[in-house]
Amino acid sequence: MSQQKLSIEYNDKIVRQFVLACVIWGAVGMLVGVFVASQLNFWRLNFDLPWLTFGRLRPLHTNAVIFAFVGNMMFAGVYYSTQRLVKARLASDFLSQLHFWGWQLIIVAAAITLPLGFTRGKEYAELIWPINIAVALIWVVFAVNFFWTLARRNEKALYVAIWFYIATILTVAMLYIVNHLSIPTSLLHSYPIFGGVQDALVQWWYGHNAVAFFLTTPILGIMYYFMPKAAERPVYSYRLSIVHFWSLVFIYIWAGPHHLLNTALPGWLQTMGMTFSLMLWAPSWGGMLNGLLTLRGAWHKLRTEPVIKFFVAGITFYGMATFEGPLLSIKAVSALGHYTDWIIGHVHAGALGWNGFMAAGMIYWLIPRLWDKPLHSTSLANIHFWTGLLGILLYVAAMWSSGITQGLMLNGTTEGGTILSYPNFLDTLNAIRPLMLMRVIGGGLYLVGWLLLAYNMWQTLRGAVPVNGSVEVYVDTAPAAATAQQRASERMGWLPAFGNGPVLLSIFLVGFATLWMVGSGIVSALGIAGALVTLVAGYALLYSRGKSWQDWYEKLLLNALPFSVLVFVSVAAGGLVQIIPTVLVNKPDNVEDRLQIAYTPLELAGRDIYVREGCYNCHSQMIRTMVPDVLRYGDYSRLGESLYDYPFQWGSKRTGPDLARVGGKYPDVWHLRHMENPRSISVGSNMPAYPWLSENNTDVAALPSKINVQRMLGVPYGPLTPQQIFDDVNAQAKAISKGLREAGAYVAPEKEIIALIAYLQKLGQSEQLTPRAVTTAARH
Amino acid sequence: MSTHTNAHASHGAARAAAATAAAAADGDVLREHTFDGIQEYDKRLPNWWLATFYGAIAFWIGYWFYVEQAQLALSPQAAIELEMSRIEAAKLASSASNLDDATLWQMSRNAVFVNAGRETFNSVCASCHLTSLKGVDEGGIGHNLVDDTWAHGGNPTDILAVINNGVLAKGMPAWGPVIGAKKTAEVIAYILSYHEAP
Repeated sequence: MSQQKLSIEYNDKIVRQFVLACVIWGAVGMLVGVFVASQLNFWRLNFDLPWLTFGRLRPLHTNAVIFAFVGNMMFAGVYYSTQRLVKARLASDFLSQLHFWGWQLIIVAAAITLPLGFTRGKEYAELIWPINIAVALIWVVFAVNFFWTLARRNEKALYVAIWFYIATILTVAMLYIVNHLSIPTSLLHSYPIFGGVQDALVQWWYGHNAVAFFLTTPILGIMYYFMPKAAERPVYSYRLSIVHFWSLVFIYIWAGPHHLLNTALPGWLQTMGMTFSLMLWAPSWGGMLNGLLTLRGAWHKLRTEPVIKFFVAGITFYGMATFEGPLLSIKAVSALGHYTDWIIGHVHAGALGWNGFMAAGMIYWLIPRLWDKPLHSTSLANIHFWTGLLGILLYVAAMWSSGITQGLMLNGTTEGGTILSYPNFLDTLNAIRPLMLMRVIGGGLYLVGWLLLAYNMWQTLRGAVPVNGSVEVYVDTAPAAATAQQRASERMGWLPAFGNGPVLLSIFLVGFATLWMVGSGIVSALGIAGALVTLVAGYALLYSRGKSWQDWYEKLLLNALPFSVLVFVSVAAGGLVQIIPTVLVNKPDNVEDRLQIAYTPLELAGRDIYVREGCYNCHSQMIRTMVPDVLRYGDYSRLGESLYDYPFQWGSKRTGPDLARVGGKYPDVWHLRHMENPRSISVGSNMPAYPWLSENNTDVAALPSKINVQRMLGVPYGPLTPQQIFDDVNAQAKAISKGLREAGAYVAPEKEIIALIAYLQKLGQSEQLTPRAVTTAARH
Repeated sequence: MSTHTNAHASHGAARAAAATAAAAADGDVLREHTFDGIQEYDKRLPNWWLATFYGAIAFWIGYWFYVEQAQLALSPQAAIELEMSRIEAAKLASSASNLDDATLWQMSRNAVFVNAGRETFNSVCASCHLTSLKGVDEGGIGHNLVDDTWAHGGNPTDILAVINNGVLAKGMPAWGPVIGAKKTAEVIAYILSYHEAP
């Protein structure tokens, strides 16, 4: 067979662009992080300015770190390694540039809109709908560019890093699109199509798997390329790659409900979230093992190479965070840790330790290769490492202590378990203030380390010449017939891709296990029987056919399309099993016990102000099925009590107390004074003041369109004309204003604070439905 | 291009074969194919790792049986209802030791009670009544508790009723159930300490 030599120059310009963007946005994201952390200690740093308050800036921090910092890092790593692993230049220079500039434009748009209060009110999914569409489009550009490159590859088989990239691209697209389905009410505002418990489930299916498929799988792929490269050692175990890849991408998707333990989420989903999180421990550690043990025989490099130091520390933090995750998913541990700083510490072990250090290691490795010049200063890189490590340790230790301290205080009871030990929430907040300060110091040190990287890079780049890598490949020039024959022997059609032992057995096993879990009676029994038979058959077949399965997998790796489809099938399964029943069953018509009373137009306007100010960043609206929660906040929240909430506002952190039943607890004037100056009411509070709410007028004109959309979504609003809506708003606002005047405080009825008070006083109001027979309440 | 020659292979042929066989059993043999120079071993999955994986799967099956299938565990709703009724019973039992005016006045002259009451008051009540107890007269929201006018009655048991039941129309929450009988008595003692005993 004759071959022709072909020289390929990689597109490394795009890698350089993404690396630079990563360094810059990383610094911005961390800076905002240090700032918002300081605001928690010193409320004056909110400056009484709307666009500088914690509630608006915290989403900016999280979005910047996830999508701008890690996003740009991921794109740089994926583009650099993929080209080399498939021996092909990126398919399209135009798409690469479109991808880069489109993504940066999205980041800028986010940095402008979030502080201005344009938000969807869902964590890590705050960006408004026009930006959502841009994100989806640019992600498609990324996907097309990537898969097109795969189609033009000169390397037949797909390396494990590519598997992870494929999983990333497909799954993020699925998650992002479903969780951002919205109906616009205006150019800048929309309501999500899911509400209440459904929105909660979809949100955390997305939120948890954004961590999985945006912050984990792409970085694992990057690890699988850069770690063996930097260590110059073989990857530890190929079969571990296979087992941990497939188990990780499959199981991750099911674990989302662990963000909603002890809430009003149906019990079977909570049990699923907890157990699947525990099963996720080993697959995660498989990645850690393959990363760390690749260093076998090269551990001495840990002493001298900053790149290896960053990678080893990063992978170790990955191992720590993926042990902590399952731990926190145990219902009893969640009861202590959820809503506290422990969770914040957990995500930062991941973001600073895993993502940040992997990014630093990768960048230090790339700089000399992309600019053909040795790094300006190795010792500066070492100082970065130790500064950053100290920063993370301070941060994480502070947050662990803070979270556990506050959790114990909030859950502490006395007098035989009948009374809260610390009835005043502020006592628990002020107990952790020193730790909150230590967190600022830790985060600040980490930022300093990152700035050292930026400086080191700047010094290296000055006067350096960008270089592009290249490779020589041999392309078959054999007669067409011979080539076609060989191609045919390597090609895998749909039937062999799906109709074979491993795939069919997996599908049957998951199918039967699902029947067992979600079915009842005979269906459930059938599920058990089927799963057992599949398991025994699979075990037997493994011994008789194991070798052919290996050959099948090797062949599958030559076929990118069937491989990608199989990946998609395995990531789609968990979401389908959890979301479809929830959307079908948990509707107002089926609700038992209690059903929320729909908001009046004024209350709805107030709710949108609550969402705009990002109150959910510090206040939950979910009283868990736990004694301390019920003692502190009142009767536990029912599933039906937030069914008309678009978006749901259950929250994930309690820097302040829960608000699910705050309605009617205090007089209107209490809320007015509290919003104008929280410390006049709650001494020692760290809440920002909201003076502008008493100055700005409520956006009543937007209400008819908003109510139309809510009606479309199923909220029981009658056919209201705009005039009826305005009249309704006026009447309710005037009554509140009058009441305030009688209490000695005058605010004009059209001010935003009136709408917000109307909303807050509505919280917790529901109608008691006739209890149904207990038997129908079975499991779902 | 396989540049990294396996170290075992450089010895004699026989020894190399034996070593290769041992290595193969252990997965310490490099896979043929390389990607951009990256090689891969095919090491066995560590047993302890497999044990954690299988262990978690076994836990899932067992836990699901216990909680969801056999429903041997109480549902979260049933569990919290049960727990709250236990607490209610305990509270009802303790409120039987009823407080009268004389006892409360006596407590108000007791430094231990007054000091404990001050702490609770400043933590819970002062947000509306202020630490000066002068409330609305100094810009607070609640009534002045140190002057001689009592909106809801000035007998110690009247105050007790206000704390226990609240005056919801005026924005006074029912604090009694939240802080408990002991702290309620202490708070009353603290308030009364500003007043002359009859």
